[in-house]
Amino acid sequence: MIELRDVQKSYGRKKVLDGITFTANKGDITCLVGVNGVGKTTILNAIMNLTPIKKGDILIDGEKMTTELYNKVAFIPDVAIMLPGMTVGETMDFMKDYYDTWNGKRAKDIVRFFRLNTTDKLSELSKGNQAKVNLLMGLALDVDYVLMDEPFSGIDIFTREQITEVFSSRLVEDRGVLITTHEIVDIEHLIDKVVLLDNGRIYKEFNAEEMRETEGKSVVDVMREVYNG
Amino acid sequence: MSVSFNKRDPIYLQVIQHLKRLIVSGKLRPGEEMPSRRQLANDFKINPNTVQRAYSEMEEQRLIYTEPNRPSHITEDPAVLNQLKNEWLNKAMATFVSAIEPLDISLDELVPLLEEKLQKRK
Repeated sequence: MIELRDVQKSYGRKKVLDGITFTANKGDITCLVGVNGVGKTTILNAIMNLTPIKKGDILIDGEKMTTELYNKVAFIPDVAIMLPGMTVGETMDFMKDYYDTWNGKRAKDIVRFFRLNTTDKLSELSKGNQAKVNLLMGLALDVDYVLMDEPFSGIDIFTREQITEVFSSRLVEDRGVLITTHEIVDIEHLIDKVVLLDNGRIYKEFNAEEMRETEGKSVVDVMREVYNG
Repeated sequence: MSVSFNKRDPIYLQVIQHLKRLIVSGKLRPGEEMPSRRQLANDFKINPNTVQRAYSEMEEQRLIYTEPNRPSHITEDPAVLNQLKNEWLNKAMATFVSAIEPLDISLDELVPLLEEKLQKRK
């Protein structure tokens, strides 16, 4: 379980995270949703210890993040992270050399799943295929948790459908997935937990299926209430 | 297998409804092996935890049975299958009766119309 307790962070006088508390369970897909502004990416960065926080605790399976715990968590940012001159295959070789947790068999499965071509240069890929390469690099690691920052942003609808299929596939297996997005419509059926953020605060945290069962509301219905109300 | 789900009803109930339809129509036969939870989640493009919940519920209703570390199977119990058919028919009748409620129509008028529809289906 990834657990955030009263996490606070400011840039100058502006509070970016104002007492963020939530959990993301292993085996669940948890979705951090916010319509605008910072916060979502900052939370992922804070979990990965890429940005310092002013106050609060972030725990992975009950422990504070340490170098060893990095082997439990993969972070997939929404920007290209590899050198554009490399091919998809070279990128995979690099990952294999660099990460002990790299799973070559799964990497090949993902290449097939996404219909990527290992001889293609990263710089020549479409935006959608670049996003797939990013996902490939995170999902091929044998980790317990995968954090994905805006995996759907700026991507055409067909690529989005393919990426969506990853979440119900065995490529995710029983790992904990924490994703940030502002485009929830396509993935409503796939997520377990929704955490709604606005202005650095959590407005609501709920289980999507429970919400449908007890209140007959879709995730978007709840978002409409929160963000329009 | 493609199913479209609505966004406001619990997905697990929609999955159960879909599987019940396959059972009453004979597309899933008594004793037949069910797809794994992961497989069904992938086919329907839904969360595997949701499929797990649907299967658990169907186990409780004895529509499927699962032995440890084995795939689930459709029940072969005729009583359970009959009950499912009755339940399906009652629900369909209730929907039909409620839909024609605004009409002033007698049973005598209705029966031949029903017969005609059923003929066309064949």
